[in-house]
Amino acid sequence: MTTDMTKVLCTKSHEYFIKEGKSLKMGVTDFAVEQLGDVVFIELPEVDSSFKKGDIFGTIESVKAASELYIPVGGTVIEINEKVIEKPELINNDCFGEGWLIKVKDFNEAEVEEAMTYDEYKEFIEEEGH
Amino acid sequence: MGKEKDLKKTALYEEHKKIGAKMVPFAGWEMPVQYANIIQEHLTVRNKAGLFDVSHMGQVFINGKEALNFLQKLVPQDISKLATEKAVYTQLPNIEGGIIDDLIIYKLDDCKFLLIINASRIDEDVKWLLSNQNNLDVSIDNQSDNLSMIALQGPLASDILVNLGLTKENHPRRFFIKKAKLLNIDVLLAATGYTGEDGFEIIVKNEEVCKLWVELLSKGEKFGLKPIGLAARDTLRLEAGLFLYGQDMTENTTPVEASLVWTISKDKKEDYSGKDKILSQMNQKNESKRLVGFKMLDKSIPRHDYRIYINNEDSGVVTSGGVAPFLGENIGLGYINTDKPTAIGTKIDIMIREKLHPAEIVKRPFYVKK
Repeated sequence: MTTDMTKVLCTKSHEYFIKEGKSLKMGVTDFAVEQLGDVVFIELPEVDSSFKKGDIFGTIESVKAASELYIPVGGTVIEINEKVIEKPELINNDCFGEGWLIKVKDFNEAEVEEAMTYDEYKEFIEEEGH
Repeated sequence: MGKEKDLKKTALYEEHKKIGAKMVPFAGWEMPVQYANIIQEHLTVRNKAGLFDVSHMGQVFINGKEALNFLQKLVPQDISKLATEKAVYTQLPNIEGGIIDDLIIYKLDDCKFLLIINASRIDEDVKWLLSNQNNLDVSIDNQSDNLSMIALQGPLASDILVNLGLTKENHPRRFFIKKAKLLNIDVLLAATGYTGEDGFEIIVKNEEVCKLWVELLSKGEKFGLKPIGLAARDTLRLEAGLFLYGQDMTENTTPVEASLVWTISKDKKEDYSGKDKILSQMNQKNESKRLVGFKMLDKSIPRHDYRIYINNEDSGVVTSGGVAPFLGENIGLGYINTDKPTAIGTKIDIMIREKLHPAEIVKRPFYVKK
């Protein structure tokens, strides 16, 4: 299934989220994946843990280095993607689809509004000179 | 920003750009870190062959009647036993036994030796060599800026040289060096490397390296030869249990602490820098830390500077760590205080993001070529 990119919202730290009814599905952007290269390890939080916007909610590791994951919108984790823990390469193959990381509920709508659209995010990357 | 402008470029810089290498700063040089996918590059070297630009490394020639005597005063290996064209891995210890650099010495003839040294240590090494020159009849000729070096590594490396016109009889044997002509270019051809595979390191003038690089890649294509970046060079050397200067050893570690006892000539008569400390540590086994290899027992990845715990006590530090793509394991090297067990099979823990992850001390090298 291909992702409708108009529904994808992004942060400057290269995480994304997609609203799915009352929850947000979150992951890392295609740009982040390209920068990382092969993802070889992923650490995700426990279900029911709560985070404030910008908190570290996990770690993603490539061959070269470990990077922290910052939650784009605060809330409570209702589901984690167990498949990416077993097969981190799913993140390389399909970061917006099968390679999603967590689902979050009880979020603040105002924080959702603050995020960039995918088009704005692409402009941001270009301006940053990547 | 200004700093990046000061980075040195190898003679192959434009070639790397042309084939889409990602360039990064390394030891003062702008070097290709990867051309495509790091894991694929790693496996290419294990299964076929890879070509590396290692021109950042230093080449120093030691010439003169007393070249041997000079080197004997500097390294724990007994160079007097070295045959012509033979190479030896050793270190330059300071007077306290701390490792200034690790290097390979190639004996070209009785009065001429070649030292291949780390890029980050060229200045320090040359300073050290000069300060030990005294009145000896020896010249220290640092050719690092004039020479390039490319490494051809992997099980098909030898076949590729044959395809380039150099018959097998003219290849140096493992850990030997030979003068050779490749594509009519004069090279020094050494059967050494930093990957755990058979292969060659080719030393050639800067002006001639591009032709050799391009032609090797093109002639090697049908063998599956690919250019390989520094990232895979690092995973390859770690998987083969080889050390990286600056991480796995520094001026604060001796060859004994670095578990390099096998590179120390026990019966060497001549005095050499650091000998007292090195021999005392070796004979009395009184070093305070010791390098070990370990593998993770869960899926986590050890990294440089993570702490090592034994029985819940902070007992050491990881100096190199990462994935071993061929073995499919996560492995590391690190120092453990010798008041703790360091035997193979010892269960240890690595502190990763404030949690302990189980690991076990294992035999090195992790990977041995079939």
